[in-house]
Amino acid sequence: MFSMTAKIAWASLVRRRVRSLMVVIMIAISLWGLLFIEGIYDGMTEQMIDTAIRVDCGHISIFAQGYRLDPDLYKQIADSAVIDEVLQHDQRVRSYTKRLQQTGLVSTAHAARGASIYGVNLQDEERQCSLSGYLYPRANSDRIQREYDFGVKLCGALIGYKLADKLQVKIGSKLIFSAQNLQGELQSMVLKVSGVLKSNNMLFDDKVIFVSAATARKFLGLEGQVSHVAILLNDETQTLAVQQELSREFPQLEILRWDQLYPALLQSRQMMKVSNMVISTLIFCAVSLGIIGVMLVSVLERLREFGIMQAVGTTFGQIRNIVVVESLLLGGSGFILGAVIGGLTLVYFRAYGLDLSVFSTAFEQFGMDAVTYAVIRPSFFINAAIAVLMSTLVSVLLPLRVLKSSQPVEIISKL
Amino acid sequence: MIFQLAVRNILAHKKRSIVTLILIASSTAMLVFASAWMEGSHALMLKNAVEIYPGYIQICDKDFPAATSYDHLIFDASAIEKILNNQPNIASYAMRFESFVLFSGDEKSVGAMLTGVQPAREVYLSRLAASLQRGSYLTTDDTNQIYIGAELAKRLKVEVDDELAFVGSGADYSFTADKVIIKGIFKTGLFDFDASSAFINKKYFDHIMAAQNLATQFVVLPKNPQLAQQVAEILNAELSIKVAEQYQAQSWQQRMSGLVQAMELDSMFGYITLGVIFIVIFFVVMIYTLLAVYGRVREIGVMRAIGTTPSQIMAMLMLENGLLASLSVFAGGIVGGILAVYFEYNPIVISGMEEQFKQYGLAVSSMPTIFMPAMIVRDMTVMFVLTLLSTLYPVLKVNRIPPIEAIHHV
Repeated sequence: MFSMTAKIAWASLVRRRVRSLMVVIMIAISLWGLLFIEGIYDGMTEQMIDTAIRVDCGHISIFAQGYRLDPDLYKQIADSAVIDEVLQHDQRVRSYTKRLQQTGLVSTAHAARGASIYGVNLQDEERQCSLSGYLYPRANSDRIQREYDFGVKLCGALIGYKLADKLQVKIGSKLIFSAQNLQGELQSMVLKVSGVLKSNNMLFDDKVIFVSAATARKFLGLEGQVSHVAILLNDETQTLAVQQELSREFPQLEILRWDQLYPALLQSRQMMKVSNMVISTLIFCAVSLGIIGVMLVSVLERLREFGIMQAVGTTFGQIRNIVVVESLLLGGSGFILGAVIGGLTLVYFRAYGLDLSVFSTAFEQFGMDAVTYAVIRPSFFINAAIAVLMSTLVSVLLPLRVLKSSQPVEIISKL
Repeated sequence: MIFQLAVRNILAHKKRSIVTLILIASSTAMLVFASAWMEGSHALMLKNAVEIYPGYIQICDKDFPAATSYDHLIFDASAIEKILNNQPNIASYAMRFESFVLFSGDEKSVGAMLTGVQPAREVYLSRLAASLQRGSYLTTDDTNQIYIGAELAKRLKVEVDDELAFVGSGADYSFTADKVIIKGIFKTGLFDFDASSAFINKKYFDHIMAAQNLATQFVVLPKNPQLAQQVAEILNAELSIKVAEQYQAQSWQQRMSGLVQAMELDSMFGYITLGVIFIVIFFVVMIYTLLAVYGRVREIGVMRAIGTTPSQIMAMLMLENGLLASLSVFAGGIVGGILAVYFEYNPIVISGMEEQFKQYGLAVSSMPTIFMPAMIVRDMTVMFVLTLLSTLYPVLKVNRIPPIEAIHHV
């Protein structure tokens, strides 16, 4: 019986192929547009979040109590060896890095800027965020700025490209960093630029100088203390669970998730979801209107046909099924076409990215990558399928109501 | 005759006309409102970014923006003052000297920008004075008194009347150190700026930094800020003749090109999103027009049979759709315009957005629309053309059916 219903519905759609095709194209284009918007916008947000997590805070950050609000050399994590012990045995932890931080003034013979030193272990940073991958090759430089090293004397420094530009320094240039040490005394050290980094994290590119942990420790008068432990997990969904366990393990420390440290990025993600939902609703409301129009006219045109069918024993339920199947065929074809084109578009932009270098000044200013790689999530397609299904089902309600109230059998008896 | 037929047809197919009218009118209203919102919020962000500190026009050494070092100072500030005093297009100007120093309170040290400013003139050029939170703003007679950002004060753990020491280098590259008293604390809302800026009377600054007749930049307020670019060009011509080609005047559009581009990019994404919605609406209007004209194939066939030419039928159908489109676009434009005016005075506040803007260095807490009649007319024209284009295919298609076939159309 279903096969017969489907055949009649299909024949009816083929008979009015121009309008059927228009509806299918309309659904396909709307879906393609929606998938493109969702994939690219999500990609942009996720890239920002990913950069912040990898380069700066990890999925979870550990600080001494009160350090984050008042970064003081007295508020350091005193015994990081205990943390090492826990993190090294936790299979959920992909990598972690320990940093010693202090703000101060960096100057050259001709310029000065406010900056922060990050005392790090380069091997840990490499595991954490492939820091060497951010080394910035500068075409107009007389030397290739690609040295991922602090040198034998450990006085080398890796600095953000914006800071390097402002100070007009390149590899080999000397910097003087002045800051307060643990005793509250102002002191300075000479650093030699060994690499320039472009991480697309505004803070890092503009204000951070990576130095060896040993150099930072000696300069600041600290021993085994660290300011910040950034932890990267294998699976982001485990962030909350790991945070809770670490909080129980180290109640004296402040253990925060990335979204607590970067609330604006979490808001961006949430705003993107809301925005996608609003766009999707608007698009599918319009799609519904299109389908309603076609189905309504299709039903009104065939009142005599339905009347004859009822006269020869077809029930209203069977006619209703024909109309519903017609609508579902339209929606289904549109969805398949749109999903294929949209999916292929996203696959392309996931592989090659959307190059917006024409706006490179804007991206640079806000610490973003000018090439955005699309994200593909099954939820894009599932949500779209639900929306198309709802649109098609809702759009047959009015035609069916009209069909029921117009009593086709009476119509044929009048003709 | 054609006009009468078109009007009759619109009235005869009331439901189709109403649906089309609502669809196009709401799309137009949405476009007008979205454009007004994007432009309004962008204009506010730019205005805030410009007026808080950088100013509409800056004069500095050509190499200074890229290399903010003492090698690229304005070495004869009085020569530039002379030029600016004779400019009729300028409302106000002031010189600044920006340097970076290490501040030390009783407990903490923080590197930050220390700028020598002309306090009385700055009132007209930036929002520094208006952003006073505690204590008081600087005066032209101040000596070792400093006006400091709220976040910087918090980091240094200092309050009004506390003493602060700083070390830095003077304009002659000599080592400089001094003790200053905090006179006032300001908060502009730009987190980074509030966390890394402090100001001092330039007269005193010149004394301790050996910066007499030197400046890193001049900030200029044109009488009409909208003409910043033109005024900058005039100033450039004057500077190259009377002072040196090494100095340049840059409008805020040139200096803050990244921010301007970011706004353009945001608008572009906004229009892409609207574009997708409008493509769907374009198809819906096309489908409705197709259904409407196909419902009248027999009528059109009869008209053709009694001598109406295809061009007359084309004119009638296009006029019909044109009238409907005009009415819808006009209604949509009015509704969108009313919304633009309303939300200009009652800006939209999206809770949580402030945090996001703060992260990108923008001081915005609400997002107003802007009422710009020219922009509304542009959007209405776009919608009108789109609507007419969407009806073109159905009209051409139905006009191609031979009269006999049309008369027998079921």
